[in-house]
Amino acid sequence: MTLDIDAIRADFPILERRLPNGKRLVYFDNAATSQKPQCVIDAMSEYYEQYNSNAHRANHTLADEATTALEGARDRISSYFGTSPEQMIYTSGATEAINLVAYGWARENLSEGDVVVLTEMEHHADIVPWQQMSVDIGIEVRYVPIDVESYTLDMDAFEVALNGASLVCVVHTSNVLGVRNPVEEIIEKSQAVGARVLIDCAQGAPHERIDFDSLKVDFVAISAHKMAGPTGIGCILVRRDAMEEMVPFMTGGSMIKRVTTEGSTFQEGHAMFETGTPRIAEAIGWGAAVEWLEQFDMEEVHEHINDIASWTASRMREIPGIRIYGDPGRDDSSGAVSFLHETIQSQDLALLLDEGGFAVRTGHHCAQPLMDALGVPSTNRASFWIYNTMDEAESFVHYLQEIVDRFA
Amino acid sequence: MGEDRLWPEHLDEVVEEFQACFDSMERYELLFEYAKRNPNPLPPEEWDDDNQVHGCQSRAHVTCFVDEQGGFQMRGGADAQIVQGLMSVTAMALNGMSPQKVASMEPAYAEAMGIQSSLTPSRANGFLNMFKRVKEDASKLSG
Ligand SMILES: Cc1ncc(COP(=O)(O)O)c(C=O)c1O
Repeated sequence: MTLDIDAIRADFPILERRLPNGKRLVYFDNAATSQKPQCVIDAMSEYYEQYNSNAHRANHTLADEATTALEGARDRISSYFGTSPEQMIYTSGATEAINLVAYGWARENLSEGDVVVLTEMEHHADIVPWQQMSVDIGIEVRYVPIDVESYTLDMDAFEVALNGASLVCVVHTSNVLGVRNPVEEIIEKSQAVGARVLIDCAQGAPHERIDFDSLKVDFVAISAHKMAGPTGIGCILVRRDAMEEMVPFMTGGSMIKRVTTEGSTFQEGHAMFETGTPRIAEAIGWGAAVEWLEQFDMEEVHEHINDIASWTASRMREIPGIRIYGDPGRDDSSGAVSFLHETIQSQDLALLLDEGGFAVRTGHHCAQPLMDALGVPSTNRASFWIYNTMDEAESFVHYLQEIVDRFA
Repeated sequence: MGEDRLWPEHLDEVVEEFQACFDSMERYELLFEYAKRNPNPLPPEEWDDDNQVHGCQSRAHVTCFVDEQGGFQMRGGADAQIVQGLMSVTAMALNGMSPQKVASMEPAYAEAMGIQSSLTPSRANGFLNMFKRVKEDASKLSG
């Protein structure tokens, strides 16, 4: 089976959009957030139109339907990620997922001098909470450097950093470079020294099937909005024994068993970590997104995206003054092409591209330590996904060439 | 500048030049040209924390002062050419005005030039932040 890109595109109403200047939208900012298929939009509208009510809280029909849909989504999503619903805690996204590990696990289980290993490739979401923990409880944070020639993690330095580590937190796929890290090796080596491991799969999940149980990893952070789901929801997948070591960092309704004026007892398992009214519509939307994704072979999807990224990068390299950061097209890369022009400043370039209808990202991409390692303050980034086409890539390269001809 | 004018008369020619552009790309080309024609540039050697315009993704710096004739003067520099070009036009518009007048200016000339997409605040690319900073400085200089 090969992907029918026309049929896929037909599922995304936004791709038909024209911009105010009449240009057709070419959406190359997928690493920031993906577009949503009609079925996701419909599932969320249907909830609000037909059975909106608070989950887990009443005996009436609507509440029952909402609860069933919310938990049905958990079943579907956890199964998509190769694990059971008990291992999945809904969060607002990857950022909250990582914060839950910091405040719910690390603060309870680590103390002064304990070592947390990060990498220079991390998104701020996987840096700042650990810097906070360093302030709060005195953990030591170590950063594994990247090799700026190959744009990969320095694995020798990783092994050195592992010495005495309690927790290792690594991004599965870099949102800037599109590089997929050797997470299997990282998990194995970290666990061999007794460290727990968190993998930030915000960028990995849209590109490959993450199989939580077979990865044998402790924590996986996932974001729905980069994989066809709505914004405002994600999850942390947690291995059973690690979950037993966690305490809730937000408390309130839903997560309790019994509250008296003397004190409270908490629910067990994932329910202990989900307080307040759940993100019901968002969970239902994410469930629909996963159902939509299930029709594809993710290896084919990855190949499609990687072909576009690799072709685009190779053509961009022929444009005078363009420099690419990363090595798009390698088997272990996803669909992100970060680049700069030597004289056209990145903000200017993004505005000029926008005039042509091309949505690309500019800035530090919430990865300033990586920018520092690369020696640049920002990059432009084109990132591709399942619905992008070679035609779009071709028109992008032509338009970029035209900009360089006129403005460099 | 007359009471009913939104920008000084000598800027009409500049605004018309932008309005005569065939399309937005041509307007941007012209703005890149104007970036090189800043009457009072602030070179990168003089960029510091004090003169930095905050809230821009790109770097932008301005300093403002009152000249011997009591006229407002701004010097500006930015790494993005689009912001730099708008700075040049802004300097052409404002330099020599009374600081009181500058403090109450609106960026109507930039809208009239048709550089819409450079002007929305969410793009955070500097022009509006720069304009606000210039007005704040003018207000202090009026004091
Ligand atoms: C690698 C990586 N980690 C974490 C995040 C944050 O994810 P969320 O938006 O779900 O909080 C992002 C999103 O930009 C990301 O790219």
